[in-house]
Amino acid sequence: MTQQTNIINRKQELPLKDDSSTLFLKVMISIAVFLFAVTLAGVLSINSMLLNWNQSILGSLTVQIMPINNINAEKAREETLDHQTRAVRFLEGRSEIEKVTPLNDSQLEQLIKPWLGDGVNIKDLPVPRLIDVRLKKNAEVDFLELAEKLAEVSPQASLDNHKLWLNKLIKFADGLKMMALSVLLLVVVVTSGAIFYSTKTSLGLHQYIIEILHLMGAKDAYVAQQYARRTAWLGFVGGIIGLIFAIPSIFAISRLAEQIEGGIISDAALSVQAWSAILSLPLFASLIAMVTAYYTVKRTLEKMM
Amino acid sequence: MSRSDNSNIPPVIEMQNVGIRYGQGPEILSDVKLSLKKGSFHFLTGKSGAGKTSLLSMMYLAQKPSRGIVNVFGKNVNFTNRDSLSMLRRKIGVVFQDFRLLDHLSAFDNVALPLRVCGMDEREVRKRVKELLQWVELDRHLLDTPATLSGGEKQRIAIARAVINRPELLLADEPTGNVDNDIAPKLMKLFVELNKLGTTVVIATHSEKLINDFSYPRLHLQNRSLHVLYPSTSRFGGQI
Repeated sequence: MTQQTNIINRKQELPLKDDSSTLFLKVMISIAVFLFAVTLAGVLSINSMLLNWNQSILGSLTVQIMPINNINAEKAREETLDHQTRAVRFLEGRSEIEKVTPLNDSQLEQLIKPWLGDGVNIKDLPVPRLIDVRLKKNAEVDFLELAEKLAEVSPQASLDNHKLWLNKLIKFADGLKMMALSVLLLVVVVTSGAIFYSTKTSLGLHQYIIEILHLMGAKDAYVAQQYARRTAWLGFVGGIIGLIFAIPSIFAISRLAEQIEGGIISDAALSVQAWSAILSLPLFASLIAMVTAYYTVKRTLEKMM
Repeated sequence: MSRSDNSNIPPVIEMQNVGIRYGQGPEILSDVKLSLKKGSFHFLTGKSGAGKTSLLSMMYLAQKPSRGIVNVFGKNVNFTNRDSLSMLRRKIGVVFQDFRLLDHLSAFDNVALPLRVCGMDEREVRKRVKELLQWVELDRHLLDTPATLSGGEKQRIAIARAVINRPELLLADEPTGNVDNDIAPKLMKLFVELNKLGTTVVIATHSEKLINDFSYPRLHLQNRSLHVLYPSTSRFGGQI
């Protein structure tokens, strides 16, 4: 007798393990976590990309010296370089500017190489000269005033603070981010909906057992806890499976992004915090599944009996 | 326990002008008036379809009256919230005519159910269930599921489940209907012992033998009404 009672393992009153919805929920949550992880990686990449752009580009500006047109190419070049020197001198005298670097011939050749190919002699072409200007950290710059003063020093010089094209790029990235966030929200809503309906179906299926539990004095919370425990476990297992498929996909996508020239997308590396967020998704899935199941049971039982 | 001792204690069950109907149908019980004092013992009798099960289900809080007032342990069931009703149900043990055992659970787990829903410590659960199953001579069937047990064995499990939590009110629907002749008196003795310890008992039965052997008052249902019939002698001294 004692031996017999010692080998008794407490069995769950509600046989939720055998529910037909178990497999469905596991697969559903796996897919949801996969989609969530890949999309979240996208959102976090866009975020880090925007941050890098802001830091690296907003701290700098480019001054362009338009080439002087003259039949004598040699003279025209000398005059253009003279304008460049004047502009550099002016810029170096400004307090908000840290460093002024005029691009030399070989650097300019590198820049036009993708369009005109090798073997181009920059001296033969009327290309603008470029000056890279690095601003001091946290310096307040009045771009309009700077541009006006610069035009007085050299009418050939024009100022580009990158704001125009950067703003367009930021707008595009923000749009992408909003779309991705909508996908994340949709994934959560659809998964919660699936959990809600499968829990309701299961409650109908086990109505007889639940009635007996109530008659024995069980509160709604007792039944809800059994569902919450089971669904939390399904959420966790489904989450792990989804993550196992998502991680190689994230790596594959970032490898593809790295191959794009221009270095814009390669800024999109995921930080340690971003990886922690992605790796914690099974816990997040488990929590959502648990809360959804618990409140579905509580609400349904109040209406059912 | 004398009647005067109970004068300040609210009746375990009290019904006033209670009617039950299902849907738009006629009332199957009308103007039921009833007061069961703590420690009383009653048989519930009446023909099939007279409303015994409906009356019992109101007593074990599975059903609310269509009209009238039902107080259980002094609480009006119409104004008691779900969690409080659950707490009241923990004081009530019920033996159903169709047993209502959970087929996927062992005899042990079935009997342990009322203790576990209360959150009792598992060691205490094992101790109590083991003792009771020994008492109802089912200790050899601890791990068997109801499907493998006979009707009588299932009934003893149902009774063990009803009394395991030492209920203040015990309601039984034909509790000796399926058990062997030698087991029936033993189960009745259990109900009588519980009653002597203060449990209020209501047993629905068709058995004239049982009613005659144990001279307790009867709650008799006839023509949708409840009548209380008193025996000429009371052998076990149960209280009305």
